[in-house]
Amino acid sequence: MTAWQRLRFDPRARFAVLTVPGALFIILFLLLPLISIIVVSFWRTESYELIPDWNLDNYATVLGNWVYMKFLVRSLVMASAVSLICLVYVWPCAYLIAKHGGRYRLVLVLLTAAPFLTGILLRVTAMQQILGPIGLINMGLTSFGFAPIEVFMYTNVASAIGLVYLWIPFMLLAVYLSLLNFNFELLEVAKVCGARPWRAFLEVTWPLNWMGTSIGIVLVFIPTFAASVTPRFLGGPNGALFGNRLEHQFGATGTWALGSAMGVVMFAACLIVIGLVWRTINLRRVGFTGAGS
Amino acid sequence: MSEPAVLQIEEVEKRFGAVEAVKGISLEIAKGEFFALLGPSGSGKTTLLRILSGLETPNRGRVSIGGVEVTGLPPYLRRIGMVFQDFLLFPHRTVAENIIFPLRMQGMTPAQQKEQLDWILDFVHMVGLDERFPHQLSGGQKQRVALARGLVSRPELLLLDEPLANLDRELRKEMEVEVRRFQEELGIPFVYVTHNQEEALTMSDRVAVLYRGQIEQVGPKLEVYNQPATRFVASFVGAPNKMTGRVTACEAGRLEIDWDGLSLIAQAKEGMASGDLVEIYLKSERIALSVSQDSPQWEGGSENRLEGSVRDIIFKGQFADYLVRVGAGAELVVSAPPALPGIARGASVQLSWSDQAADVFKAPPGDGS
Repeated sequence: MTAWQRLRFDPRARFAVLTVPGALFIILFLLLPLISIIVVSFWRTESYELIPDWNLDNYATVLGNWVYMKFLVRSLVMASAVSLICLVYVWPCAYLIAKHGGRYRLVLVLLTAAPFLTGILLRVTAMQQILGPIGLINMGLTSFGFAPIEVFMYTNVASAIGLVYLWIPFMLLAVYLSLLNFNFELLEVAKVCGARPWRAFLEVTWPLNWMGTSIGIVLVFIPTFAASVTPRFLGGPNGALFGNRLEHQFGATGTWALGSAMGVVMFAACLIVIGLVWRTINLRRVGFTGAGS
Repeated sequence: MSEPAVLQIEEVEKRFGAVEAVKGISLEIAKGEFFALLGPSGSGKTTLLRILSGLETPNRGRVSIGGVEVTGLPPYLRRIGMVFQDFLLFPHRTVAENIIFPLRMQGMTPAQQKEQLDWILDFVHMVGLDERFPHQLSGGQKQRVALARGLVSRPELLLLDEPLANLDRELRKEMEVEVRRFQEELGIPFVYVTHNQEEALTMSDRVAVLYRGQIEQVGPKLEVYNQPATRFVASFVGAPNKMTGRVTACEAGRLEIDWDGLSLIAQAKEGMASGDLVEIYLKSERIALSVSQDSPQWEGGSENRLEGSVRDIIFKGQFADYLVRVGAGAELVVSAPPALPGIARGASVQLSWSDQAADVFKAPPGDGS
């Protein structure tokens, strides 16, 4: 049997060939960097040099020192707020597109992702041009003699607006795809059974689309949690988040070991958030039929 | 109708853009009645049902349920139940939760819900399956749950939109009997939409035949079957033979019709005259079949006699369709018991039927077929 024939007829060989690219990708680009970060996080840096003497000092610093914890909490609050704003904004849009978009549905969804055609830096700068002191809104206001809106100028609010703008297409796509698979006729059933529109939404639409929505939440939460560019450009002097502190360790101060420990903490926090979201999903309660009996 | 009407429909019209789906339909349905809306797809029967449910609002006309006008009311303010073609159970809810959904919407206490649930589970033979999820049920079980959900709150009216169309034949037969039992035992009027005449004729008390958004005929099912009022009803109900011919003589309510050179006798309808082009609809079970050599004794009521030869016999179980070639190549279908003695493929046979067996209608002008 030639190798080609083996590939055609031996399911195990076929499985191996199909698995290799994905596995290789995960090993090279996810597991190896992660392991190296975890290893380094237990080391020590001294005048820009890594010294491999195993200790827990970095973690004691990150978790025990309020200077660092403050940024962690700030990032958590920011990520939660941004996810919530995206959620509230996205649902009506996705619902409208999925239910009434007709043949323009795909175009409408792609349009919401149009900003992705440019780089993140460009988009954040564009946001600065709108919100900042010489931006569109405040320039307009001041030129008509009104006071500028202060909260837009280099604050955490400005950061939040920028982050919502950046990541909202992810959540829109997730919720839209979920609604695309949703049978809107079930709402008619609910109404015939006596449910008013809002009740029908809460009893039928929301639970059956919660899985897609939660994927959207995670897709927004994680990049927001790790954000550094947006708060640096829009957040002003008090806008620094955990991501900025982390970035700092690898740049200015050269404390790579501490930075690695911060990275591990961030990774762990993300896992916890994903775990919490996952706990809310009961596969039998989201209309998912692949869970077996 | 001795009993008061539960459902009154007056001059109901519905347009979708330029399409007139329902064109001025009026109906009354009595308490305890099993009413079928029978029609081909696109006849407006589903639209009419959706108007009754409140899922569509008519452009004109009135709908009253239990003496109360509900024309503009949304579905959740009407006391109705509905069963859909593809079951439409809530996939994230168990059987029990699906069934008590209408009760919860009514604000019934959990104890009352439980009582009703136990009653209906027993009634539809689903005891012990209440903790299952819809995807763990068979098609027939799903439809039983859908029916239970429609009936559990004892609505004033149950609307059924082709509920058996997605079931296989065996199951459909079984469910036809069951649905009929539900209706009889609960006394709730059922409005049953179907394109399947067998279903309509098996289950219902009265039938309305719909075509192009209008009612062609409404009446007890036997009347609709035996005395079709219009050409469409005659052609749609009962799989008839259709023969197009010209009236050669018309006297004393009796027609002589020339069909492809064969002479047929039938009863005339008002306004028919010699020279008219007519369509004759003859149900296949109304033709008697006998072997030619038998020198048949013609009984009264066999005014029509034709010689033919059996081209094929299609066995259907309890009966068979005999395809009989007559005249210059026309073919008639005769339903008769299978394996009639002496009648095989190629056999010469005689066909006979009475002058009252066929329904004759004037052919529409311009229809040369």
